[in-house]
Amino acid sequence: MSLSQVEAADTALEHPEEASAGLTRDAFRRLRRNPLAIVGASLITVFVLVALFAPLLAPYDPVASDLTDIRPGQFPGPSREHLLGLDEQGRDELSRLIYGARYSLLIGVVSTAMGATVGLLLGLLAGAFGGWVDSLVMRAMDVMLAVPGLLLAIGVAALLGRSITSIMIAVAVVNVPVFARLLRSSMLVQGRSDYVLSTRSLGVKRRKIVLGHVLPNSLAPVIVQATLVLATAIVEAAGLAYLGLGSEDPRIPEWGRMLAVTNAYLSSEPLLALWPGLAIVLSVLGFYLLGEALREALDPKLRR
Amino acid sequence: MSLLEVQDLHVHFPVKRGIVLERTVGHVRAVDGVSLSVEQGRTLGVVGESGCGKSTLGRAVLQLEPITSGRVVFEGRDLSVLSADELRRARRRMQMVFQDPLASLDPRQSVASALAEPVRTHEPGARDLDARSRRLLDLVGMPATALNRYPHEFSGGQRQRIGIARALALDPQLVIADEPVSALDVSIQAQVLNLLAELQERLGLTYVVIAHDLAVVRHISDDVAVMYLGAVVETASSEDLYAAPLHPYTRSLLSAVPVPDPDVEDRRERILLRGDLPSPAAVPPGCRFHTRCPWRQPTRCHDEVPELRTVDLPVPVVPSGAADPAAAPVRSQGRVACHWAEQVASGALTPTSTLQT
Repeated sequence: MSLSQVEAADTALEHPEEASAGLTRDAFRRLRRNPLAIVGASLITVFVLVALFAPLLAPYDPVASDLTDIRPGQFPGPSREHLLGLDEQGRDELSRLIYGARYSLLIGVVSTAMGATVGLLLGLLAGAFGGWVDSLVMRAMDVMLAVPGLLLAIGVAALLGRSITSIMIAVAVVNVPVFARLLRSSMLVQGRSDYVLSTRSLGVKRRKIVLGHVLPNSLAPVIVQATLVLATAIVEAAGLAYLGLGSEDPRIPEWGRMLAVTNAYLSSEPLLALWPGLAIVLSVLGFYLLGEALREALDPKLRR
Repeated sequence: MSLLEVQDLHVHFPVKRGIVLERTVGHVRAVDGVSLSVEQGRTLGVVGESGCGKSTLGRAVLQLEPITSGRVVFEGRDLSVLSADELRRARRRMQMVFQDPLASLDPRQSVASALAEPVRTHEPGARDLDARSRRLLDLVGMPATALNRYPHEFSGGQRQRIGIARALALDPQLVIADEPVSALDVSIQAQVLNLLAELQERLGLTYVVIAHDLAVVRHISDDVAVMYLGAVVETASSEDLYAAPLHPYTRSLLSAVPVPDPDVEDRRERILLRGDLPSPAAVPPGCRFHTRCPWRQPTRCHDEVPELRTVDLPVPVVPSGAADPAAAPVRSQGRVACHWAEQVASGALTPTSTLQT
């Protein structure tokens, strides 16, 4: 997936279904009035812009080492040339942070998209057919939920070997049951509503009712969840990288791994741990704030 | 041949227990042996308190609720034996208007799409969709500008008009209206009821109007069926029923309606029903109303199920507490499920619990 696609997926999340005017327009108006949504959207915008224009913004090559000033356990701190100092390999910390945004965004968006796609398909199956299909799918989801999320992710990542792809798949797997359950329960609620009954009494085919009415009306909580999952996916991906399950290539500037490496120098260079930590917190906070604001904006109970 | 014939209709919902091994521990008898018929072009009102199964009856007639037993014969065809696809095609002849117009319209569907959807379903390739939708809106007194708007942009009355327009999109014969006005402001209720009456006249529609509001049913119905706990306890023409109710349940229901005359209102006697509606999962034996009936007798009521029978009339029906029995209205026809209907009507039996106001 290229970065432009990543951005497209990201904006699609911010503008769910332009076509269905009325309701979406209303939700959008409420969203714009919510200061938390503005803060969240701003953080995300900065995050996405930094990721997109990393080559233009970064003052140095993120993998080029300058070992002249590096002593064991002691690196030059912030200076005019290197605003955030150098890391243990003599690489510019700021440039690595800027490039790191690309990986975090990529992992977050791709793993959320994969988790959502599989989860929504399973949820759709369960919600649309019910009966034994529903039981089968949901019991499988229950089994997955019974294993703690991070443990499951570690297991999957360890199984697949060390790479960014395996981190993405691991995070996606953890989120599959979340989306499946959410869509199913949302569809069950919508399926019992009067408008489904009225459409049925008009003789509209079942397939059309499910795909044309029940599903679109069940997606609002899913969109909210996707935004929130994006936030947790970034944290989970960083966590997996921190635990050493990321790519074997030490040159890749991934925030989680940057954090892990600073472990050894925490007492002498605590600032090096602060920067990637702060980057993770701010990007996650952006998605989280937007997600919460979306939840409020899309909640039919708060309408008008 | 009546347009709609309901014969001994039962709708029972199983009550299930257990997580892995589900077993049925009982049945909720929502509709328990209802027989009705509606003639072409007439309106049948179905009244009863909430939980009496009147909505389930309406849905079961349209095959939107699985029928346990019995037959629904519409235009001479037994609907319960139709295949799923035949039934889907038969639906264009019978439509439903719902109680809550906001809930019964898809919030994401524009009015234009909501009105075109039934036509597209039954007449694929229909071309004049837009013109037809405009005509429908005109029929229910809405401007064509409503087409591009969404349900939440309208008031309750307007939404119900759209709901009615949607039900009429396929030119149905029968319209079942489930509490069509109870979600609306009182000031709007009359408008919608008048619209329904006007549409009936113009299009020759046949209505089944389900309501708990006796005034609404009286206003619109030719005939009325009174339901109690899943069964019909009395049927009569609207005039007869309101002038001279026979069944103790109908009498107590009507005695709760205020009279717009302070003198009468002062002297009027109200019959109080004690206790709650019994659970439809445990219908009382004998007459299903005997647990609350103020006219309950020591014999027959609790152990013999009363048939819905034609009462030997005319006899004057004496309102309880009336000063002059001679002036009592005479009732011409109707059927009632009460062992003691004649004695209750003539005043030979008196209620045990009344409230003099």
